[in-house]
Amino acid sequence: MIGEFLSSWSLFYNSYLATWLIGILLALLGVPVVAKDQIFFGAAVSQASTFGVALGIGLAELSSAEFFQWFGSEQALAILAVSFSILSALFASRHSRKGQESQESVTGWIFLIASSLTILVVSHCTHDQEHIHRLFSISPIGATLTDVVVFSVFTLATVALLIPLNKRILLLVLDEEMATAVGINAGFWSMVIFGWIGLALGLSIHTSGMLYTFGCLVLPAMIAKNLCREVRPMFFAAPAAALVIGIISSILSYHYDHPPAHTAVALQSAVLAAAWLWRWIRYLVKSV
Amino acid sequence: MEDADCLLKVEKLSLAYGHNRVLADVNLEVRRGQIWFFAGPNGSGKSTLLKGILGALRPKSGALWLSPELSSREKVGYVPQRCDLNPTLPTTVREFVLLGTAGLRASRKDRQARLSWALDKVGLADFQERDYWSLSGGQRQRALVARALVRRPRFLLLDEPTNGLDLPAEEALLQSLVHLNEEENLTIVFVTHNLSLAARHATHVAIFLDGSVICGPCSEVLNTECLSRLYPVPTATLKAIIEPWRSLQKASGGQA
Repeated sequence: MIGEFLSSWSLFYNSYLATWLIGILLALLGVPVVAKDQIFFGAAVSQASTFGVALGIGLAELSSAEFFQWFGSEQALAILAVSFSILSALFASRHSRKGQESQESVTGWIFLIASSLTILVVSHCTHDQEHIHRLFSISPIGATLTDVVVFSVFTLATVALLIPLNKRILLLVLDEEMATAVGINAGFWSMVIFGWIGLALGLSIHTSGMLYTFGCLVLPAMIAKNLCREVRPMFFAAPAAALVIGIISSILSYHYDHPPAHTAVALQSAVLAAAWLWRWIRYLVKSV
Repeated sequence: MEDADCLLKVEKLSLAYGHNRVLADVNLEVRRGQIWFFAGPNGSGKSTLLKGILGALRPKSGALWLSPELSSREKVGYVPQRCDLNPTLPTTVREFVLLGTAGLRASRKDRQARLSWALDKVGLADFQERDYWSLSGGQRQRALVARALVRRPRFLLLDEPTNGLDLPAEEALLQSLVHLNEEENLTIVFVTHNLSLAARHATHVAIFLDGSVICGPCSEVLNTECLSRLYPVPTATLKAIIEPWRSLQKASGGQA
């Protein structure tokens, strides 16, 4: 099985590398999301990003004029996907004040409006519905060298930011009031963190689709949460889990000819179930 | 501002949430080593003033001056009313308390020393490696105080830290704070509803009522005349709360 996989390396190495890098990047960024218990955030932002693509396709359908046609280009669709992802991430992360809707409600609203508008916009499009379907179901099989470079740089930049800032980020995520008290500009840093996550999600959705993006954002961090005794080690455990599961799922999906993204998410979900079991056993042993 | 002992000065300060004015024309001066208790009914603006001091709320008008040694916030400790930590998140007492060092330039060794010192001060020295969620309510509250102390603050602000604590836990927490005040000359601002706590431990009291603040030394402010304006209870009840502690203070020539 492994020999088979290695023989496919020269053909698919860009896809494999992009898949693994996206997994590592999103697993890192998923730690604050999971720590804040905003699991649905990833689904909502992914959906908003998909709406950006649908909007581009819809605008390209409006007229044959060059201006409108540009919206249907790969470049424009990527820009729209990333823009909507960042905007929705910033909107979902904004502070809820007394008398306003909670963050959870706003996240739910983003998910619902983006889901419904996506279908409404593309329902009468004569072509390019395939692009939307691809977003929901694609695997990063068509990833290029550019994707590998983009995600390598993004992952390295994220690690470089997390090393000196992990304590500030954790305090901000876990106790915003205390963070403000010790002089951290909570509004600014929330915008930076969630804008960064939005950018990563937008880029990832364009390359690997909604399922893989959402899965990698929350599942490895949830696995890490169940295996670690503290939050900080989750920043190591989550990307490690994403990488190991990514490699195994690449081998399995090639061998059994299954879609790589679906295989990876199914495997991550199975490992999460095992981690739940492990935590439960640990709790039982402690109680005894 | 020349006075080296003045840590906080508030002049004609007004604070509001949007158009909803909570406090108006507040004047207050907190000096090094003092223990201030902010008391008053719910919604009277105690926590709002704390937010103003911490910079989480901009003044509508007036001035709020913090000593230069506190301006970087390195020497400010804050204990919130409660910590809304995600209860499914794994964390130890050590990690939880060390979160308080965010933004500080300190070596690993220094952080460890600060951690041991802070946990020792709140009586949790043997709990470093314990799961935070296995602590009792009182121990968690002390861990919150340790998280503020780990910064080695000169100025400690506590927002109703004794809420939900039973009497022994409340007493243990207060004793830790009084010792810190005596040993480290730590300046404390303590928000509470509990007047007997204020009567026992405060050097100065600020009473919040209808958007304004009456403040000064404990003996001047904590009297039945002032308090009867605040709380619609018989004077005898108020005397019963205050007098035992005031007698004790007089007998000891200062703090009880």
